Amino acid sequence: MNLIYILKEGYSGFKRAKLAAAASVITISISLLLVGLFLIVSLNTSRIISLIEDKVEIEAFLQEPITKNQINEVQKSILFTPGVDSVQFISKEEAAQIFRQDFGEDIYSVLDFNPLPPSFKISLKDHYKKTELASRVVESIRSIKGVEEVAYRKELIDFLEKRTLLLNIIGLVVGIIFGVSAIFLVANTIRLAIYSKRKIIQTMKLVGATKWFIRTPFLLEGILQGILGGIFSAIMLWVVIFFTSQWLTAELSEFLKIDFSLYLILALMGAVFGLVGSIISVRRFISQTIVK
Amino acid sequence: MITLKNVTLSFNAQPILSNISMHINSGEFVSLIGESGIGKTTLLRLIYMDLLPNSGMVTVGKYNSLVIKQREIPYLRRTLGVVFQDFKLLEDRNVFENVAFPLHVTGVKRHEIQRRIVRVLAEVGLSHKRGAMPNELSGGEQQRVVIARALVNEPFILLADEPTGNLDPALANEILDVLLQINSRGTAVLLATHNYDLVRRSGSRILQIKDTKIKEIESI
Repeated sequence: MNLIYILKEGYSGFKRAKLAAAASVITISISLLLVGLFLIVSLNTSRIISLIEDKVEIEAFLQEPITKNQINEVQKSILFTPGVDSVQFISKEEAAQIFRQDFGEDIYSVLDFNPLPPSFKISLKDHYKKTELASRVVESIRSIKGVEEVAYRKELIDFLEKRTLLLNIIGLVVGIIFGVSAIFLVANTIRLAIYSKRKIIQTMKLVGATKWFIRTPFLLEGILQGILGGIFSAIMLWVVIFFTSQWLTAELSEFLKIDFSLYLILALMGAVFGLVGSIISVRRFISQTIVK
Repeated sequence: MITLKNVTLSFNAQPILSNISMHINSGEFVSLIGESGIGKTTLLRLIYMDLLPNSGMVTVGKYNSLVIKQREIPYLRRTLGVVFQDFKLLEDRNVFENVAFPLHVTGVKRHEIQRRIVRVLAEVGLSHKRGAMPNELSGGEQQRVVIARALVNEPFILLADEPTGNLDPALANEILDVLLQINSRGTAVLLATHNYDLVRRSGSRILQIKDTKIKEIESI
């Protein structure tokens, strides 16, 4: 196969149908920009969730009055509960101290007595930190004799996990819609290219050009459109990130930092979109170009 | 060489060719006559296997329509030269590039391309016009470029489908002279035409298509 000839033909097709090619390049860029943005959001929400999950603790408040022996019994039961990593006992007095630290006021100055019950701070083993498993541990601790109430902030995590799922689904759906339209725009550009070159295709078939010799320039044209779209989307994503981080605090803009490989993935996805689009047209329309 | 055996072909239940058989020997000059639309072009398409018969068998050199694979058809076509009435020249390339086109397509080396084009343009008498664009040429010259393009891959047969259909009688005779000259060097020629003067002048064997059948006739 004459490689230089094929490359020249692929590029000349791109030049000939400038407007159609520009439309497919732009659609590919926009669809990939959206994919990129959703990737950043979803990567970061899972990062934030795991940060929060790490900090989640369960607090078990004890019934009153309670003896030292009873407290020891409860502690043992908690430690035997699957998923529990460690426990820390907080007496009534310590609870009052924490109250003072948190609110800046002495509990005794508000009330005559200390209403804060003694409690256990419980941390979970890593793989028990997911809401579903953590809830099960909370249930077991709640049923231990001597435990009055168990506090566990699962709503926040639940909320985040559901929102991430929703965000990912929306991102996926929007990405697919844009991706499919990008593919069809490429297919259309290539169809135009095939139409404008039908005479040369006829002649090629007549003089004995092989199937791949005829098809490869059109496939290359599609890939070229895709890669250009991918590169533009990477540039746009970089610009968006750059300006957004100027506007955010240093701590928050940390979350926007992405790996260089994401840009490469976008360019690669563009190439795949372009290839798929051109395959669709080449398969359908080249065989329709009859010799006579 | 080329053999058709009991070939039948229909389009939309309309028979074009019914149970025809024919044979062309190497180096032969054969004229194929018949009214317009009678099936001459269809017969040529069967030979370069753009169409395959509904029944019967077409043999072209080592290729056989019963067993040929789709990917082998380009290689079959490289052994043939095809010339059309409507030229099918590529308007955006000059004479040299038009003739070079089949060689690029089949991957011939650059210096070999040069050598073959010089020879084939001399053969059709167009060496001096190698840099001209198709729209700068007369009809007769354009057809000679097409013949040169058909010859450049050194085919064993030239299939000419109404090559003089768009040309006046004087130019038609010129083209016939080119075809006779090519034939005298050993390339077989199958000339499909309804120009009976041309056929008489060629002095060739004559095949006639009539009522979906083919028969050999002595003279017209």
